[in-house]
Amino acid sequence: MSARLRAWLLVTPATLLVVLFLVLPVLSTLATTFGDPKGVFAPYATFFNSRFRMTVLWRTMEVAVITTIVSVAVGFATAWVVAKAPGRARSLLIIAAVFPLLTGVVVRSFAWLVILGKNGILNNFLIWTGLISEPLSMLYTQGSVIVAMIYLFVPLMILTLVGVLEGIPQDLTDAAASLGATPAATFRQVILPMAVPGLIVGSVLVFTGSFTSYATPQLLGGERQMMMGTFLYQRAMVTFDWVGASTIAAVMVVVTLTTVLFMSKLARKLNPVAG
Amino acid sequence: MQNKTHPLLIAFAVLVFFFLLGPLVIIIGSALSETSYLTFPPQGLTLHWFENIFEISAFRRTMATSFMLAVGGTALSMLIGIPAAYALARYRVEIPRFLGNVYVLPILIPEIVLGFSLMKSLATGLGLPITLSLLVGHALLVLPYCVRVVGASLNNFDFSIEEAAVSLGCTRAKAFFTVVLPNIQAGIIAGFILAFITSLNDVSVSIFLTGPGVSTLPIQLLAHMEQFFDPTIASVSVLLMLVTVAVMAIVERTLGLTFLTK
Amino acid sequence: MTVSLTLDNVSAHYGSTQVLEDLSLHVAEGELISLLGSSGCGKTTTLRLVAGFLQPTAGTIRLGDRDLTRLPAHARNIGLVFQTYALFPHLTVRDNVAFGLKQRGMGRKERDRRADEMIARVGLDALADRHPANLSGGQRQRVALARALVIEPPLLMFDEPLSNLDAKLRVDMRVEIRRLQQANGTTAVYVTHDQEEAFSISDRVAIMNAGRIMQLDTPEVLYSKPANAFVADFVGFENMIPMRVVAEAGDAVRAEMEGGATMDLPRGTFDVPGRDFILAARPEGLLVAPEGSAPGIPAKLGLRTYLGRAYQYQCDTPAGSVMANGPLSAPFDAGAAVTLVPQPDQCCLLPVEA
Repeated sequence: MSARLRAWLLVTPATLLVVLFLVLPVLSTLATTFGDPKGVFAPYATFFNSRFRMTVLWRTMEVAVITTIVSVAVGFATAWVVAKAPGRARSLLIIAAVFPLLTGVVVRSFAWLVILGKNGILNNFLIWTGLISEPLSMLYTQGSVIVAMIYLFVPLMILTLVGVLEGIPQDLTDAAASLGATPAATFRQVILPMAVPGLIVGSVLVFTGSFTSYATPQLLGGERQMMMGTFLYQRAMVTFDWVGASTIAAVMVVVTLTTVLFMSKLARKLNPVAG
Repeated sequence: MQNKTHPLLIAFAVLVFFFLLGPLVIIIGSALSETSYLTFPPQGLTLHWFENIFEISAFRRTMATSFMLAVGGTALSMLIGIPAAYALARYRVEIPRFLGNVYVLPILIPEIVLGFSLMKSLATGLGLPITLSLLVGHALLVLPYCVRVVGASLNNFDFSIEEAAVSLGCTRAKAFFTVVLPNIQAGIIAGFILAFITSLNDVSVSIFLTGPGVSTLPIQLLAHMEQFFDPTIASVSVLLMLVTVAVMAIVERTLGLTFLTK
Repeated sequence: MTVSLTLDNVSAHYGSTQVLEDLSLHVAEGELISLLGSSGCGKTTTLRLVAGFLQPTAGTIRLGDRDLTRLPAHARNIGLVFQTYALFPHLTVRDNVAFGLKQRGMGRKERDRRADEMIARVGLDALADRHPANLSGGQRQRVALARALVIEPPLLMFDEPLSNLDAKLRVDMRVEIRRLQQANGTTAVYVTHDQEEAFSISDRVAIMNAGRIMQLDTPEVLYSKPANAFVADFVGFENMIPMRVVAEAGDAVRAEMEGGATMDLPRGTFDVPGRDFILAARPEGLLVAPEGSAPGIPAKLGLRTYLGRAYQYQCDTPAGSVMANGPLSAPFDAGAAVTLVPQPDQCCLLPVEA
């Protein structure tokens, strides 16, 4: 048997799985959106002309962007401390970041239900301190969704950036210092530019993850704070509007793929290291 | 260390970790409360709510489904993912580069879109039974983990060892099982366990594929939360956290948790 | 701009392990001193202390009349060449070289001019706009050198700068380094584990072991007159034969070795350092001669190997196995009984350490 044949036989099952059960079904979903008798782009016209749909899209964008920005800032600062921490502390901190990451989305979102609820911990605490007299309704607001999303994605950001920061050789920062760069200058001129590709990768993960999330907006946003994920589910499984649901799916695919492609191009441009 | 980290930054990081772990501690606390509603700090201590999980048949059933789905889906995915990862690492010339990207498509395509599309094509279109659709969906969902993590191990593997085995009279297949496999064992175990936990926690794909009589634990949890707000959910969450702890222990033993920072 | 570097009683610790013990070192103006030793001997630690990446637990470090000891690394103005080159991968060759000038607040035009000038001096004019990833090892090394030189530091330090290059390039580069260092008259510290490299390039070499300097001298003295057994072993005195003075016989000293054999060492040619001493010799320092032809060590020959300029024998003596050379003109056969005659100019007698 030739090496080429053997190689192809080995990759065939996995490739078939992806092609048959991912590529074709997703393409069929996208195709659905162009088969409307009212016109090829009719479902999209409906989508982009509907005030409600656009509100959902923009809300989702807004939540994803805010989540990404906060996660990057929080994650970078924390990753810095983790990367610099001495051996044992560093391992403990990594464990502390991995634990929530590997705990399910439902469990982690549920925690915020307990914290932010009418009789939740935060309300009880605020009443106890006397800051408020009546419980605030914090659930089912954009704020509650964003807080839970940040909670969801900060560990991912920390772990990504710890890897990035530790990938910057100590020799480089030593070299910068020996050439007269102050710690601030070293950070600005060496560490930051070298971390940019990692920051972009992390941002893409967080943005696409929060843009397409389902469980968190479902639990903490509810009907009032419908996002693309929950909206897709509602269209598909509650109103059985499959064309509408497919259109939402198409918009989600386009937004995530564009983000991934654009950002990875940007990362390559900002990262001349690879030459 | 020569570059001291600024104390304010350290204080900030401490706050962040408090933010990350605090909510999980709250869940553990409220799972132990004697009250029939969720509260923290717990009032009284009881394991009653843990017993309660097993008294609710929906939890018993979905727990079994989720566990079998995670094991079955991951096993299926490994069965086809390991050969692919091996071919990608071993036959760099024969296999086009882009094929490696095909196996990460399940991460690239929004999960919820994948779930919806699978529901349309498999469950409704082909009339596949729910369990089978779920199995396919989960196998697909975890394929990137299988190929990537095993692939990382294979990239560190020196294939001349395999050639040495063949030169000593092993058949190709025997060389794979006796020389390659034992050397990438750590990657396979770690990949399996990461895939397992991903499958176990999945919502976005499963939500479309579950149906009458067949559901998974996270979906059941979501449904339960919308109706009840008692410590049972918290205690199921605690059980799931225990699974996470076990998963972390295994990953630490195999590839080390720092693997996850790469 | 030439200054001297002085380390006074410097100690350093990693956690609770002491890695440098009371080390003192003076590098004169314009001098190049190598710190030579195997890994873990403290040579890199010494360099990192001077660079300011580590803090000494005791002692002072001065550059000319400037006390560096508590100065942060970025304020020390020392040119450093790293083993890994440590080039900034995100910057072009020109920007790498200009990095130090930028930190000194120099305008872009002026720093580019100076960087280009230095890049030309190391022969990389055509590559100024490339990124380090697109350079060969030797070219990266030159960029690292240019980057350290362009800031015109009063002190240059090299940390195993050539260990990642192939043999031919290593020789070329060390000549280049020596040339540039001498042309600028810059004081320099050069860390290496390669004896040939250290000896070829340095004014003086400090051989280090376990955080201490075992001997600091010119390469010539180190090579022919090691001061102690450690240095002797390091510079290739393979044979170490413990001896004891048993009698003074006129103008000779009679010494006995293990196993009871004795040998007369004429005064004047051999300087016996004490009652107990070690006869240290390279194989060429012990001449294989017919039995009894001259005073020496009785031996029985074992395996013979051909070295091109001589035969080398593995010899059994009462004091153990030694390596000795014999002339090409008169080969001996295995099993022959011979005398190993110490050659005064290629042997040395070392004190036994306490």
